[in-house]
Amino acid sequence: MLEVDVEVDRRAFTVRAAFQVSPGERLALFGPSGAGKTTLLETVAGLVPRARGRVVLAGRVLTQTWAPRRAVPPWRRRVGLLRQDPGLFPHLSVRQNLAYAPSADPSGEEISRIAEQLGIGELLDAVPARLSGGQAHRVALGRLLLAHCDALLLDEPYTGLDGGLRRVLTDLVRSLVAARQVPAVLVAHELADAQAFADRLAVLDQGRILQVGEPDEVVLRPVSQRVAELVGYRSFVPVTAPAGAVAGVHPERVTVGAHPRLGVVLAGPVLAGRPSGAGWEADIEVSGVMLSCHLADRPPIGQGDFPVTLLDPPCFGPDGALLPRPEVSRPGVSRPEEASA
Amino acid sequence: MAGAGIIWVALLGPVFALLTHLSWHAIGSSLSAPGALDPLVVSVESGAVTLAVLLVLGTPLAWMLARGTLPFPRFWEAGVLCSLLLPPLVIGLLLIFMVGPYTPLGSALGAVHLSATNTFLALVIAEVYESAPYYVLGAQAAIGAVDPRMEEQAALLGDRPARVTRRVTLPLAGPGLAMALAVAWARAMGAFGAVVIIAYHPYGLPLQIWTSLQETGLASALPFALVLLVVALPLPLAAYIWSARARGRRRG
Repeated sequence: MLEVDVEVDRRAFTVRAAFQVSPGERLALFGPSGAGKTTLLETVAGLVPRARGRVVLAGRVLTQTWAPRRAVPPWRRRVGLLRQDPGLFPHLSVRQNLAYAPSADPSGEEISRIAEQLGIGELLDAVPARLSGGQAHRVALGRLLLAHCDALLLDEPYTGLDGGLRRVLTDLVRSLVAARQVPAVLVAHELADAQAFADRLAVLDQGRILQVGEPDEVVLRPVSQRVAELVGYRSFVPVTAPAGAVAGVHPERVTVGAHPRLGVVLAGPVLAGRPSGAGWEADIEVSGVMLSCHLADRPPIGQGDFPVTLLDPPCFGPDGALLPRPEVSRPGVSRPEEASA
Repeated sequence: MAGAGIIWVALLGPVFALLTHLSWHAIGSSLSAPGALDPLVVSVESGAVTLAVLLVLGTPLAWMLARGTLPFPRFWEAGVLCSLLLPPLVIGLLLIFMVGPYTPLGSALGAVHLSATNTFLALVIAEVYESAPYYVLGAQAAIGAVDPRMEEQAALLGDRPARVTRRVTLPLAGPGLAMALAVAWARAMGAFGAVVIIAYHPYGLPLQIWTSLQETGLASALPFALVLLVVALPLPLAAYIWSARARGRRRG
């Protein structure tokens, strides 16, 4: 179990967060750049001496800034950190990199086994400069596994690699975390990366954890308008009741036509449309608000009001907090009559 | 390319001139005189001691400059640059005020029967002054080029700081440190300005060239220049080759 409850002062704000990760569990810290995600990981790794609070890993107190004080140095933490740059030692061969940790099994038997498992068995005598990005990341991962870390920290490790490779490596880490039963924490600023990896997702903004939940729950039921913005809701349209409430519009949670049972029905002219992936992205203007929607087919541009339904959208009160579902599940919404007409 | 060729040929010009103006006879007569090779021994010994001093005292300074662990780092850097900017002759003159026999430091040395003028110690002091800034600045660049994240990764894998230094920092900074040391060696072997003021004796090779020139003329001085070149060259050359190989290996 990894237990973290820390504060770190930064120039603009104080990062203040508490979370727990069970053995074998994968937590993703998701948030915009500069939210304090990496600071949190580095605090767990013991790389932020000015951090205050408490970090406990597998029953060992690694950091405690009150009596009895404790500050275990990085080299005794048994915490593995993987960054975007795999950080292989350029003067050592792949085999020497894998066997770097003093705690690595010196016999070489485990090195061969893990190298095979990671698909780098043929590369043991190569130097890091000869490896592709994906191979270098596999070696870096193998090095952490051979170090027998008690926790795995991943700081956007696969940003910059192509999608297919990213998925393969993410799956590999998932299976290794399950096999080793260590807590794992991933930092990501791409929601899809965080969701692909995690059992649990924490949304971080300005140093605070705004919401923790299942990877789908956080997107479908963001607890506040700010969380909704962070997880991809691009616009907010006023709803009729209660006064001042708005419904969040996620481009991927919009369907064509008026389906009052599925959610909130809106209608407005399509101002623009452009291909996006296998579908279309359309800009629809409703009550002076521009909605960006992902649709399956090309929408009719500039041909009168086009009805769409927001699928079970989260609604937020004037204070930005999520409103309970029953109040807004009825289609008592802006201009539903026109839409169905 | 043309520019590179021009400067290379221009730099080698004096060496060609030296080789074309030497005769076997002059070499034989100059170097066979009794004690003729003593300056060579003095130069190599003082150069070696100078390098040891630089390694022991200069490396930590370079390290701290590179890592920004010193307060007011620009102030410390300016200090190193000052010694680089002062002409060696001026440094020699000023050293008289610092370590000459009538200074507190000089009398302290005298109390333990040492002297920092016209002794081997004085020669080493002068050579250290002439070569230290080159070593410190070069070593600072070499250490500064090591990615701190490499060291951080090594620490997280379980290495204590001393082990990180031994297994990661020094091997990665090695080629650059070797080059800095090679430059410092060349400066120490050729040191003249400060040496001629505070360490006229014992003669090293540059002083030998100077006195031969004054006493018997150019023909007898040139062979010592050849000796200086031959003796000083192998270390920098080896450092160059080793650095290039190490860098090549890392590039794959």
